[in-house]
Amino acid sequence: MSLKAVIVGCGKIADAHVEELKKIPSAQLCAVCDLEPIMAEQLAVRYGVPRWYSDVAKLLAEEKPDVVHITTPPQSHLALTRVAVAAGCHVFLEKPVALRHRDAEAIVAAVVAGGRKLAVNYWPRFEAPALELRRLYETGVLGDPVHIESSYGYDLAGDFGMALRRDPNHWVRQMPGKLFQNVLDHVINRITPFLADEQPFIHAVAYCGDTSADQSRPDALLDELRVLIRGEHTSAYATFSANARPIGQTLRVYGTRNTAFADFGARTVVLERKQTFPSALGRLFPPFLVAKDYLRQGLKNVNSFSHARFHFFDGMRRLLGDFYSSIENDTPPPLDYAEILRVTSIMERIFDQVYPEVQR
Amino acid sequence: MKVLVTGAGGFLGTHVVERLLAHGYTDIRCLLRDRSKTARLLAVSESYPAAQLEFCYGNLRSPSVCAQAVADVSLVVHLVAGMKGAAAELFADSVVASRNLLDALEARDGIPMAQTRVVLVSSFGVYGVASLRRGTRIDESTPLEAHPELRDTYSHSKLRQEQLFWEYRQKNGFELVVLRPGVIYGPGGGAFSNRVGLQIGPLFFHLGGNNLLPLSYVVNCAEAIALAAAHSDSAGQVYNVHDDVLPTASSYLREYKRHVRKIRSIRLPYFATRILAGLLERYHRRSQGQLPGILTRYKAAAAWGGNWFDNRKLHALGWSPLVSTPDAMARTFEYLRQKDAKLP
Repeated sequence: MSLKAVIVGCGKIADAHVEELKKIPSAQLCAVCDLEPIMAEQLAVRYGVPRWYSDVAKLLAEEKPDVVHITTPPQSHLALTRVAVAAGCHVFLEKPVALRHRDAEAIVAAVVAGGRKLAVNYWPRFEAPALELRRLYETGVLGDPVHIESSYGYDLAGDFGMALRRDPNHWVRQMPGKLFQNVLDHVINRITPFLADEQPFIHAVAYCGDTSADQSRPDALLDELRVLIRGEHTSAYATFSANARPIGQTLRVYGTRNTAFADFGARTVVLERKQTFPSALGRLFPPFLVAKDYLRQGLKNVNSFSHARFHFFDGMRRLLGDFYSSIENDTPPPLDYAEILRVTSIMERIFDQVYPEVQR
Repeated sequence: MKVLVTGAGGFLGTHVVERLLAHGYTDIRCLLRDRSKTARLLAVSESYPAAQLEFCYGNLRSPSVCAQAVADVSLVVHLVAGMKGAAAELFADSVVASRNLLDALEARDGIPMAQTRVVLVSSFGVYGVASLRRGTRIDESTPLEAHPELRDTYSHSKLRQEQLFWEYRQKNGFELVVLRPGVIYGPGGGAFSNRVGLQIGPLFFHLGGNNLLPLSYVVNCAEAIALAAAHSDSAGQVYNVHDDVLPTASSYLREYKRHVRKIRSIRLPYFATRILAGLLERYHRRSQGQLPGILTRYKAAAAWGGNWFDNRKLHALGWSPLVSTPDAMARTFEYLRQKDAKLP
């Protein structure tokens, strides 16, 4: 069975949806849509998508899709989800889920009430290192999580960052959590699988680390964020940095048995085990053991590359595959709705602290 | 006559404002995205006592900025275009912004469209050169790209932008003048066009060989724009813009190495580039995009196929280069050398 897919919102991230949808055998992209017809047209022409629209109601009426990918800014996610569900469609939603936690709850409620399925594009959760970390946790290798460190580097000189910097009215600036809200899903959703608490203690600090930025300008952005999260048995530390170099994304999970470290850029996961050599030998051998671990990871990456499983959005392909499969087989979607809402709740509490002046 | 120059603070824009002043236009509204570029334009205007520069700040993606920018102008020189970034950004900056500008012109009161002249700075990238035989002369009658989706997104967005202007001109009857510059270079610009080659990691792959580079020194290009804007015969016309004496890609690279800095380069002849492009294209397809499809046979043919160029139509308007190619290259390399010396 082939599921008909459409994309609503033809900005930068829509390219990734088109690219990854092409790799899902059960999905067929039949149309794209954007309020701005030129944007819809350019996406359709560049990727050879058969049809394009600038009216979502017309799109849904004429295409009768099974799945709607919503890749618009989050300001419109709730309204579009309701329209898509009313048309009988499943929803694949780009992050951030919504402007506010209560809107995220309403999105989930709309999908559940309509008997449809929802997935949020938490693709880094489905990257090979993230899956490996979860395997280590679920098979007991790590023991119980004691502390998690999730670190996320961001390049404000990159394609996405430049678009934001150049435009003082960019939609990212209109969100309650501004720049942080556009990326923090990926920082927090790497922590939540190891943190059971619904309402952990949160302490967040943000500041501008770019010394060349004019802080008197109304469009000045905070670009450094540190968050301490404390649950009943587990704590976590989240770092967002737009100034630290090199730019990287890492996750370290300290367990009661072992500690694991994942580098999402290099796509490696190494286990930091208790060393068993006596005395000075215990300080001599560990670097070689670590080197051996990294060599093994390197060979694994070579294998992935040779089998063409080393794409930038490989996690998204995996997530999409699982989502479309859950629709076909009527099985639970790949992301638990309660966990999605836990992420949006934690994010909102962080933004309350770093932008207390923003009305909610 | 009030003139609007969009993108006036850019690499080309400042020179266009200067050349418009030199051609006797005094009342110029400069649209800038970045306020910090204001001082540079004011400095340029100091040589022209009658100059009355007016500044308008904002992004043409905003219809309200467009409405403000076009009020009371009879001549629009449109330079704004997305130069780099994601495809969506290029289309938003080049095409959506242009559509907003044209809509604002259409919607305003006062000056009728028939008495409005619009000068669009397009690009050589709009030509469909990939299927032409090596050595074909490119002039204004060369067919436009029929498969823009196979080209780089910059060329694609520029083609769509130009098509949009012709569509609106058909509908509204304003005077449209289109200039298609080759590679604009000079102090403030970049060192290498893709036509010379590609920097990949620490190595520069010299792919242009002995192909002619359709270089247009930024001052000469600005002069062509100002001249075409002013000339009564230019309405409805297209002009290719490049200098008279064109270096080859290899001579440009050689001079760069001599005057700016030594770089490690590998020269690939065109047939080898085609083979490599074919292999990369096949791998891109088979691996479902594991490596990006930046080099394909079609793109290779468009960039390094090797053409000759013809600017006789521009000369017929009375244009001649203000700066000779040796002088232009010397100034450019001096700028690049100083810029390079400042790098840590």
